[in-house]
Amino acid sequence: MEKKIIFGNREAISLLLIFMCNQLFLSFPRNMAESAGNAGWILTIYITVISLVLFLIISRLYKNFEGKDILDVAEFLGGNIGRILVGIIYVIDYVVIISVILREYGEDLKIISLVQSPISFVLALFAIGMVFGAFFGLEPLVRLGAISVPVIFLGFLITVVGSIKYFNFSNILPIFGTGLVEILIEGPSRTSVFSGLTSLFLIAPFLRSHDNFKKSGFIGLILSGLILTVGNLVYSLVLPYPSTTSNFLPIYQLSRLIEYGRFFQRIESIFVLVWSMTALIYLSAGLFFSAYIYKKTFKLEYHRPLIIPFGIIIFTLSLIPKSLMETMFIDNSIIRKYAWTVTFGLTLVLLILASIKIKVKEGRHKDEK
Amino acid sequence: MKNKIRKFCILLSIFIICQFTSGCYDSREIDELAYPIAIGFDKGEGKFLRMSLQIAVPTKVAGGGEGGGGGEGGQSSVSITTLETPTIYSGLNMINTYVSKQINLSHVKAIVFSEELAREGIEKYINALMRGREFRGTAYVLVAKGSGNTAEKFIREVKPELESNPAKYYEMVLNAYGYTGFTAEAKLISFYRNMTSYTTQPVAVLANVSEFEDSDDITLEYSTYKQKGRDYPLPGDYTAGNMPKVGNIKTEVMGMAVFDGARMVGELDGEETSYYLMVEGKYGYSYVTIPDPQAKDMFVLLNLKQSRKPKKRVEMVGDKPQIYIDIKLEADILSIQSGINYESIEKIGILEKATEEFVKTGIERMVKRTVEEFGSDTFGIGESIKKKFLTWDQWVAFNWKEKYRHSNINVNVDVKIRRPGQKIKTVPAHGSEKEEK
Repeated sequence: MEKKIIFGNREAISLLLIFMCNQLFLSFPRNMAESAGNAGWILTIYITVISLVLFLIISRLYKNFEGKDILDVAEFLGGNIGRILVGIIYVIDYVVIISVILREYGEDLKIISLVQSPISFVLALFAIGMVFGAFFGLEPLVRLGAISVPVIFLGFLITVVGSIKYFNFSNILPIFGTGLVEILIEGPSRTSVFSGLTSLFLIAPFLRSHDNFKKSGFIGLILSGLILTVGNLVYSLVLPYPSTTSNFLPIYQLSRLIEYGRFFQRIESIFVLVWSMTALIYLSAGLFFSAYIYKKTFKLEYHRPLIIPFGIIIFTLSLIPKSLMETMFIDNSIIRKYAWTVTFGLTLVLLILASIKIKVKEGRHKDEK
Repeated sequence: MKNKIRKFCILLSIFIICQFTSGCYDSREIDELAYPIAIGFDKGEGKFLRMSLQIAVPTKVAGGGEGGGGGEGGQSSVSITTLETPTIYSGLNMINTYVSKQINLSHVKAIVFSEELAREGIEKYINALMRGREFRGTAYVLVAKGSGNTAEKFIREVKPELESNPAKYYEMVLNAYGYTGFTAEAKLISFYRNMTSYTTQPVAVLANVSEFEDSDDITLEYSTYKQKGRDYPLPGDYTAGNMPKVGNIKTEVMGMAVFDGARMVGELDGEETSYYLMVEGKYGYSYVTIPDPQAKDMFVLLNLKQSRKPKKRVEMVGDKPQIYIDIKLEADILSIQSGINYESIEKIGILEKATEEFVKTGIERMVKRTVEEFGSDTFGIGESIKKKFLTWDQWVAFNWKEKYRHSNINVNVDVKIRRPGQKIKTVPAHGSEKEEK
């Protein structure tokens, strides 16, 4: 990633939306129903608010590190060891998440349409697309994201509007679902949904200013929270709890129900298109970041030679879970519960310690003067 | 040179990717697939299932084959096959051994269960259908009335005369509730949704083959009018199979099967189904026959429509739910047999009042049946009391289904007659009284 690359807020927000909202097309609404019953949408609002507060704190602390990504901050704090430690954690975080999501996308496609194809074949197709995408680099990916997001949003909107005739507002009652206490307890760990925010900490040097960083993150989070909440709400309005916990691909199921007369039906083909676009950009960007972080961690000159090896590693890791159930367990019960430790936990600790270091340094300078 | 190699590599990659992404393992030519449009389930021998598939014959559909039924002479636009199988999907496997094309269920429009099977419970079948990727939630669920293999019998008798496309036939017939009010919107997704719901219970469309072969066989003994305390049957006083009619079309859909969970517990006739639709808020419009309020044995015919969504409210008095249903209807006059000038400002109120009373009595009787006879809240009345609870556990502990069985019903119907048709009043025929008699 050359320093000359600069992109605007729109591109950054689009990238964040793809990173954070892609789960809506996977099992996110079902996971929320598992956690909070028919109040999954309230849980989504709650985790969005928590994430926004945490991001505002992070953003304030980041002010001292304008033009630096999270690895630069780690290097400032702990030198080479700090950078390598944080870099390795980030690489593992990305590689594990991308491999699990790759497997989920592959399994979804296998269930939806490529029933007879071996999973390795389906995953290989995704992996090839992912490697090609990553090869083009960050700039084409974010630009493609900026073009694709409105199309993806339109597809989502068609699904939402098409489902209106199935809405039953009593489905979201009793209002607090499985209970306010469960929502409050479950909330903080579920902020892992926004683990894609880490990408913002990596593209910080390409956003011109701290204001852009703050604006992109804030708008990205609010829009993601809004889209995820609407997706959850629509799903809950169409299907009553507890049947909301049984669908493997909730939004796909909604798109299958859309039927207006004999002409406007079988809309799921639009869903598959939207879903594939999201998968391509998400996986490509994820692979790119894995290679980029590794390059930067170990101060290598180029990231491109790392793309194919990382692609192979991600592809291989994605084949490890024995079944879709195991993949979903890893995603829902491990990644979506603990990814916040890296996204918010590690970032906050780093920034707080680095800010203290700055203060200490400033203090020393004053003393020396 | 470098550029040429690059271009060659890109072209080669595109070519290779095209080879891999054009279907490969899952490629199926459309003419290699057979599309069933209706699927029937009966009780088989022992623990087996008897499954019937009505498969569309595309060449006949496209060419406008003669009749839709599984009939003779190779002219039919459908082919019907029945087999005994332990499960749905193993049955499909068996069918694939003797049908030249691979069965694909993505165009199934009607799923018919026999009454025997429905009364035993169909949860396992509904779950299997919902799990399968080919079945669509928009397919209709029907219950074929009677004993024995009624689902197979029904499917074999489906011989539409006005449609060469049997799929369209099912769509049109099962969507006709919008202008007849005699069947319900019972789609697979709503059946599944209500089957697992803690408030609403599922319903299915009642289907059957006509009891009458010849017009001389027609009798009114199967009509439900006597149970309603009437001296004569009105148009909705029938369930599928016993409508007083004969003709080439032997199959009938009328009334609905009421379920408790996934087990059928009773049935409603055509008129009661209209009232069910009114309470649900899904009543479109239909012609309704009302006994003339001022002339004995005469009728007034109205085109009744639901002007607003119904209001449903539940109040708990002690441990007993008090159900309040408020229904608003509009009507146009189609016929006044007595010739009484109900269109006039002075008399319109009399007809409105009589219609309100007629519909109110019918709704009360029907809701009472669901409360006392079926113990099944098919209208989702419980949804209106859910808002009084804060958490799901509190709602489940309230045990609405049990409470519903002890409900009191209060129905309020408001009818406004808007238009008198093309005549503003009835002018009596001018003839001798003797002739009239």
